[in-house]
Amino acid sequence: MKTITNILLLVLAFTLTACDQQPAQIHVREEIRSDDLASNIVTRPVAHAFSALIGERIEIDNAVTMRNDTGFLELHINGHNRSYNTKRFRYRIEWLDANGLMIQTKTSTWLPTSAMGKSSFSLKAVAPRVEAVDFRMDTKKWE
Amino acid sequence: MKTKTFGIITLIGIFLAGCATETVNIDVVHDEGKAVMALDYRDFAQAASEMIQSMIGSGRLKKSGGGRYVMTTARVTNDTMQRIDTDQLMAKIEEELMNSEQVVMTSAVGGKGAPDEMIYEMRDIRDSATGDEFNQETLAGKRTIIAPELSIAGKIFQRNIRYDSNRQQVEYYFQLMITDLTTGLRFWQKESIIGKRGSNKSVAW
Repeated sequence: MKTITNILLLVLAFTLTACDQQPAQIHVREEIRSDDLASNIVTRPVAHAFSALIGERIEIDNAVTMRNDTGFLELHINGHNRSYNTKRFRYRIEWLDANGLMIQTKTSTWLPTSAMGKSSFSLKAVAPRVEAVDFRMDTKKWE
Repeated sequence: MKTKTFGIITLIGIFLAGCATETVNIDVVHDEGKAVMALDYRDFAQAASEMIQSMIGSGRLKKSGGGRYVMTTARVTNDTMQRIDTDQLMAKIEEELMNSEQVVMTSAVGGKGAPDEMIYEMRDIRDSATGDEFNQETLAGKRTIIAPELSIAGKIFQRNIRYDSNRQQVEYYFQLMITDLTTGLRFWQKESIIGKRGSNKSVAW
């Protein structure tokens, strides 16, 4: 029992050590960085299959709006791709005025973007009218 | 026998009518159609949207001391293998820049000549005998046209690359720049790239 506990502690220590090696700002991808106990040639296919099985995909973390120096509303969206595969998708942003009505603009079109597997991504959009006070965004698969 | 032949002809007719490809209108807002190797309206919408957001987001079009810049569209060259009217791109950009209330476009001068020739036709009328037929107060005087302060120019070009034995890669580059016509200094510049990869059999022009 003592031996098993020791092995588990050793595995945990290895895992934690491996996690601490990368600065948070730098993402060294699988198969580029050194393998560790949590991600290696044996565990990697299992992790990928499990991720696909539970349907991990894109998630939006936050959406921040702010007025820039010229008075136009800027939208900054941060999100991450939970899956192991690159996810390509299109997004469309509609700008709304103070009454909640949509502002007709040529910038409200479907734009392509993508996020690599297990990576963060950011989107930025600028409302082309000063009347814009809010937004709504839609997404669809990149066919 | 005659009835049988008539029946067969009718069946063939119905079959052929069923095979005819139906013409449908495109939903230009939420088009689910497949991508094409040539540039289509979705590509122009994408490029225009990126350009407009970059121009407006850069803050370079905010005139110090208030007011709006007077802008003209200079030459936007089509250097692709396709017959493209570059107004397909520029009309969208001009519309949005004017709606942003930062810029007013001039119809008096442009890279392809005056966008509205009537400005000069009315002046020709004013200086001709026909001008006497008009109320003189409603005719434009001399030195009344406002000269542009900014000019927007650029080009669209294409590169075709053999990707592998069956596929080709077509890259479309949209490049635009805004120049201060007084100083000649460049205010803003952006390149937007649209890339397509498809069958060698597809023709990109």
